[in-house]
This record gives sequence, C-alpha cells and structure tokens, in this order.
Amino acid sequence: MSQISSGRAWKFSNDISSDELISARHVFEFDPRLLSKHLLNTVRPEFAQQAQAGDVIVAGRNFAHGSNHSHPFLAMKALGVGLLCGSLSRGPFRLAIFMGVPLLQVDSTVLDAIEDGQQLDIDFQSGSITNVTTGRIMQAAPLAPFLQDIVNAGGGLAFIKSRLPA
Amino acid sequence: MGATMTQKILNRVAIGDAVVAHGEIIWAVPDLVSAPEVSFAAYIKRLRDIGVTRLAKPECVAVIIDHEVPVHSAAGAERNKLTRELARELEVGHFFDGAGITHPLLVERALVWPGMFAAGADSHAPGLGAVGALSVPFGFEVAMILATGQIWLQVPETIRVRLHGSCPDGVAARDIVLATMQQLDDAATSYRVIEYQGAGLATLSIPERMTLCGLCVDAGAKSGIATADQRCVDYLHALGVPEAQLFSSDADAEFALTIDLDLNTLTPRVSIPPSPHHVRQAQELSDIVINHAYIGSCASGSIEDLRAAATILRGHKVHADVNLLVIPATQRVFQQALQEGLLTELSVAGATISASTCGPCFGGIAQLTAGERRISTSTRNDPGRMGSHEAEIYLASAMTVAASAITGRITDPRAFAAAAVLLAQRGSAA
Repeated sequence: MSQISSGRAWKFSNDISSDELISARHVFEFDPRLLSKHLLNTVRPEFAQQAQAGDVIVAGRNFAHGSNHSHPFLAMKALGVGLLCGSLSRGPFRLAIFMGVPLLQVDSTVLDAIEDGQQLDIDFQSGSITNVTTGRIMQAAPLAPFLQDIVNAGGGLAFIKSRLPA
Repeated sequence: MGATMTQKILNRVAIGDAVVAHGEIIWAVPDLVSAPEVSFAAYIKRLRDIGVTRLAKPECVAVIIDHEVPVHSAAGAERNKLTRELARELEVGHFFDGAGITHPLLVERALVWPGMFAAGADSHAPGLGAVGALSVPFGFEVAMILATGQIWLQVPETIRVRLHGSCPDGVAARDIVLATMQQLDDAATSYRVIEYQGAGLATLSIPERMTLCGLCVDAGAKSGIATADQRCVDYLHALGVPEAQLFSSDADAEFALTIDLDLNTLTPRVSIPPSPHHVRQAQELSDIVINHAYIGSCASGSIEDLRAAATILRGHKVHADVNLLVIPATQRVFQQALQEGLLTELSVAGATISASTCGPCFGGIAQLTAGERRISTSTRNDPGRMGSHEAEIYLASAMTVAASAITGRITDPRAFAAAAVLLAQRGSAA
C-alpha cells in the first residue's frame, strides 16, 4: 500500500473530540461505510459527502480526545483520508494505527502553512509534506517503523494475520 | 532506581527480555480481557474474516451485556442473541448478561486483583485501577488480543497524586478527580498513568477509588491506578480474592510529576460543558436551572453513591420540574440498596429507578432534547453525548446531583450534607 497521498486539506480546530467526529449514539454501528456518512457531521456536514480518497484531515492539538471509540477511524479508513494533527492522545493514536489510517503529528508552523481547501501531497513514510497550492515543502517526524508496518499492512487485523500460525 | 506499580506489572507480563523502562515499546500478555456486547460480535466477525476461528486465551476473556439493558431495539435483540451464542461457542471464561456495568462488575465478581494487567474494549476500563490493577482501554484492538493473547504498548510514565487528610462532609471522590483535572491538562496526562496514593487514600472506599481511577481516562490519561493498601486487600479478601496482596510503587520510583492534594480543603466541583476538564465550583453555578438529574454509571453507581444520594434526599422531594434517574451500577448493588431501604427512600423522594446499564452515559436511554440540562454522575459531557447537541450536561458527585435534584438548580450539597449529619446525630441520640 502506498504511503503517498494526494488530495485536499480539510482543516479543523484544536480539541475536536471523539464525539464530534462521530456521535456516541452510533456506538453500536461497525459498518465502515455507514459510519463514514456520520464522520464530522455536526462540525462540518459537507465533509462526509465530499471527502475523497487521498484527502487529509488537518487538525490542531488533542485530536479525537474523549471516548476511546474506534468508529471515527473506521470511517476515515473507509473514506481513504489521512490525518495531520498537532497532537492526539494515546487512545486515538493507537486506534488510527490499528485501523490503518496514515498519520503524522506536526507542529504549529506546518499547521499554519496549510489552509482549508489547499492541495497537499504527503509522503507518510518520510514525513514530507508538500503544499501544492503554495509550493511550500515541510517536514514532520514520521511514525516509528514498527507502527508504519501496521499502517502499511492495512491495519492491525491484517498485520496480525501475518503473525498468526497458518 | 525503584519501579512504579505500572512498571512492575508490565515487567511481569512483558514478552521476552524487554526492558520495562519508560517509553519502551513492549509486547505484553493481558491477564484479563473484557469486551461489552457493543463490540464483541463485531470483533469476532472481523477476526473470522481473516481466518481466526478461536480465541488465544478464552479462559481470560469476559464478555458483558451492559450497554443496552433491558434490550430495547430489534437490532439489540439480534446483537445480544449473537453475543450469547458466540460467548458459548468460543468458550469465553466469564459471561454476564445484564448483571451490571463491566468495570464494577469485574471487581465485584472477584476477577481483579492488585498487580493484574487487564485490557478492556470500553473506554472506562481504568476503573479496575481501584484495586491496584493496570487496566487499559484498547477499543477495537481488543480484537487483536482475543486472537493472539498479546498487545503492544509503550511503557507509560506515571503522575503521582498524593492524597492527604480526608474529605469534609459534602465532598466526594468526584471532587478529588475534578481537583486533579484542574491541575493537569491533557498535555500533562497524555500517554501517562495517574497513580493515587497516600494516607488520604485510606479514607476512601474501593468504589470511591473506582471513581478516581475510572475518570482518569477523562483527564486524558492512559489509565489510573491506586495503591493496593490494607483496606483494598481486606475488601478483596472479603469478596473471595485470596490472591490479593499489598501492592505499591517503590519509594524511589521515577515519577513524571507529583501533585499533593489536601482533601480537607476540597469543595464540591462540577464539570461544565463541553468537556470534563472544564471545572467550576458548584456554588458558582447556582443560577443554572436543571431539568434532569442522573445518578449511576461505572464511575458513580456504587452502593456508597446511592447511600450518599439517599442521605441528601432524606426529608426532601425531587423538585417538581426535575426528573431524577437512579441506576445502581450492578444487580448486586441494586439488591443491597433494596435491602438497605435506599431504593424505597429514593423512589418515595421522586426518583425513577432502572436496571443496571451504561445506557444514559452515551445517549442509549433517557435522552435529552434541545434546551434541556442534566446534572449527572456519569463520565462525559461532550455535546450530543446524551441526545441533542443543544442539550447541556454537567458532571458532579452523587451528593451534588441529589442536592440539585431537590432545588432544580445546580447546588452545592454541603448545606444538605451538614443537615443530614445533624439529623443522624439527633436520630442516634433519641
């Protein structure tokens, strides 16, 4: 699976909670395609209809805080969108990797250099971020190789399939 | 250099010769794995899709029907039927069907003890830290543990919270958590474990420690844990857990941060929207009119929460414009509250009593509509959490919720608590 994505930036604020990503009332739903219709519904209703594979959610610090729900990341994986964010706590960080969502944690200079709707090329393996709209090239620390292996496998379940006895 | 409780536990359960130093990534083998009906069948479906047909350690797995009890949807009925069949077929070691909310239930049923490493699918798994276990929420990754018996994790640093003194009347474990949150933002708690210790801990019961530890996740931490002191060991022995032994961090262990809290100086606090971190003094909020009040959840549905609520409500009625819902966390708590007459008292005061469930906490039952406000002992107050995004949720102790249910406004419970103490003294003098 390629770790290079190309698409538009969807920019969000700091402190987007897990419940804002997908309301806790959908906790019983595990079909990724159905969940993807709910992603960010209350914050930005057009997102779920318009987001394309290769697009990237660009958010500030403390992304997906609150409930440790897998649902937002199942939905992101189904949509094929990646994640750039200022920070996220361990629960959502793990779930993003387990669901196979490519991500980079970036500092505020990177966040400040990306506007909503701009075109981004991102190499998640190296951490290179190109704002195609402005021509600016930036660098973030990539995930540890062990975690990239899980993301590249397509997520934790595909990864453990390779670790299980035949 | 000594070790923290967390390091000691991970050192025992780490695979291979891992060095259990802060920041190391290790593979570890959980002693206990829990999944509610919300997700268990979904995990098994995904595992079957990749060819996994059996669980690695079924005897260590607990499956609990607790989120939709009693079931109230056709989809829920199907889900429960499938969950029951799968639990039997996969020979899971512990299956509970409507017996209570996972975290207090696992403690009550003698499945948790100091030094254990537990993995839970549910966010509030850290509640088991009340008895000195390291219990970490892994969400969907529990599927990996079910299949392989293993999970990777980074050895977390520990924030030490030393408790001194004891809570005054009207102040409860929730207020300790909220005071802790006021000192620790998510940047401080992220990837870390909060450990409660000190002489003040001995003044707190095990259910009160479940409030402390369970809500650590809402403070942004990986987990919460409390020193397993003599009170904890005695509690577990009485429940029939002979394995229980004293367990604590070494005095020379390395802590990321230390906070000292003097319980004597604490006051009743409330989390205001939009998240638990937004903490105010209860007495500052007396203009806020509430329509609903809820006492329950994995963090605050214990027999002691019900006793506290009944004490505050004694001699009073729930305000005519307020709907008070009370949900004992487990069936055994329900039964004990029946025997003590608490449910009668609460019902006579005007409360609605329901079967043990997580329901209200995530908007599964007792939803709020636009413009309504609830004060609640549950875990989270994100907008939309209990129904409408235009409803507001305030989080507080059972005493503060009960006092607010009487007045119809957010109410500092200390005056009610003091009156209850006087009443009890007169009663015992008579």
